[in-house]
Amino acid sequence: MSRDAILRADAVHKHYGDLEVLRGVTFEVGRGEVKVIIGPSGSGKSTLLRCLALLEEPDAGQVSLEGRRPGRGEVGMVFQRFNLFQNLTALGNVMIGLTEVRRLPKREAREQATEFLARVGLKDKAGQYPDELSGGQQQRVAIARALVMRPQAMLFDEPTSALDVELVREVLDVMEQLANEGMTMVVVSHELRFAHHVASSILMMDEGVVIEEAPPEQFFSAPEHERTRRFLALVE
Amino acid sequence: MVASFDTHVFWEALSSGPYWKGALLALGLTVASISVAIVIGFLLALGRSSRLRAVRGFVFFYNWLFRATPTLLQLLFIWDALPQLWPVFAGSWFTPFLAAFVALSLNEAAYMSEIIRAGLLSVDPGQELAGRALGMSRRQILRRVIVPQSIRIIIPPTGNEFITLLKLTSLASVISVHELLTAANEQASVAFKFAEVYGAALVYYLAMVSVLMLLQSRLERRFTFTSAGRRRRVAAPAVPAVSHDAR
Repeated sequence: MSRDAILRADAVHKHYGDLEVLRGVTFEVGRGEVKVIIGPSGSGKSTLLRCLALLEEPDAGQVSLEGRRPGRGEVGMVFQRFNLFQNLTALGNVMIGLTEVRRLPKREAREQATEFLARVGLKDKAGQYPDELSGGQQQRVAIARALVMRPQAMLFDEPTSALDVELVREVLDVMEQLANEGMTMVVVSHELRFAHHVASSILMMDEGVVIEEAPPEQFFSAPEHERTRRFLALVE
Repeated sequence: MVASFDTHVFWEALSSGPYWKGALLALGLTVASISVAIVIGFLLALGRSSRLRAVRGFVFFYNWLFRATPTLLQLLFIWDALPQLWPVFAGSWFTPFLAAFVALSLNEAAYMSEIIRAGLLSVDPGQELAGRALGMSRRQILRRVIVPQSIRIIIPPTGNEFITLLKLTSLASVISVHELLTAANEQASVAFKFAEVYGAALVYYLAMVSVLMLLQSRLERRFTFTSAGRRRRVAAPAVPAVSHDAR
């Protein structure tokens, strides 16, 4: 495995009432790696991401970033439904982490936020509110909002599954560019073509555990598990 | 035609000092009471979802106490019974206006807390999640994200409450606050021209409520989040129906 693991999950367990959603998940991501997680709904993929982003506290096990607990904004998260702040403009959404969490002065925050909006190709939409943007544009703003915090790693929870088909591409392009720049990424997605040529490796989750992990070539051509084979047949 | 309506008396009443003063007093009492009620109501609304059982219990008790008893009775209790129970309140500092202000604020806070709670709950939970993912504290998320978004939902029922409260200030006449209705009553008892003096009072209430409605629609537009500031369709607020007449 990678020599330089920066984000790790160690035997992570999570229950909701009687339901055990994660049943001891262990995996790690090396610096600059892109891991794509696939699996049926209810397999625990989203819960795993939420544990990595510290949005959920694991019942047992540990999450660590470079061997310690991740700090505020150090692990960026992009949601399926974008979750842009509805009362703020695109620029306001990207600025707020800098002004509230990083305590930067407004002017400096505005400069940085504008730069990051430009990186996702939305500089001209700075003054628009989320309601006035397409789903693809909203998701790109959401990516800029997370990136501007200079995270050590980025998590994507089905970032394109709430989008109309013709808007998927623009979001995947931004993500691919990010991967090429060396961002460490964990992506829950069923965009298999994206997985195929961007992922360092692909993980298959089922019933709260990782049942298989392999580089894309091997994963798609010769999956080890019967469960993975059946799932791939359904998704493709 | 109306048999006898002395327009001179009507205009006289409309422009008389006691009416002006009464209307200003009613308006002042309303603005002061609703302002305090919004602050207390906000704290009560937050208390409803507190982790501490005692806090949740207190909020329940408060809302129960102030909504289950008539406003008039609360007013009389605070003006007459408090000085009897605690001599501090017997001092001359405890004016009828102050008593009415305290009673109406505490009473209104119970209603406002329900409205504010519904407003806070109407904000998509994904908004808080996104704030936490950025590393914002609960306080920051509340102040910068949840409260601004809930205001749009809170404004219309709060406008209702304001109007209700403005009319409830007439109750304060029983503890000798010289508000608008008191002024009308006094004139009526002098001249026995009921249609004219009460008609003038009606005009005052209508004028005050009209101005308020204008302010409300402006405020609503201010909290509609589009770049052009134009109207946007917003889902009907999930606010429980509140009956006003029986308070």
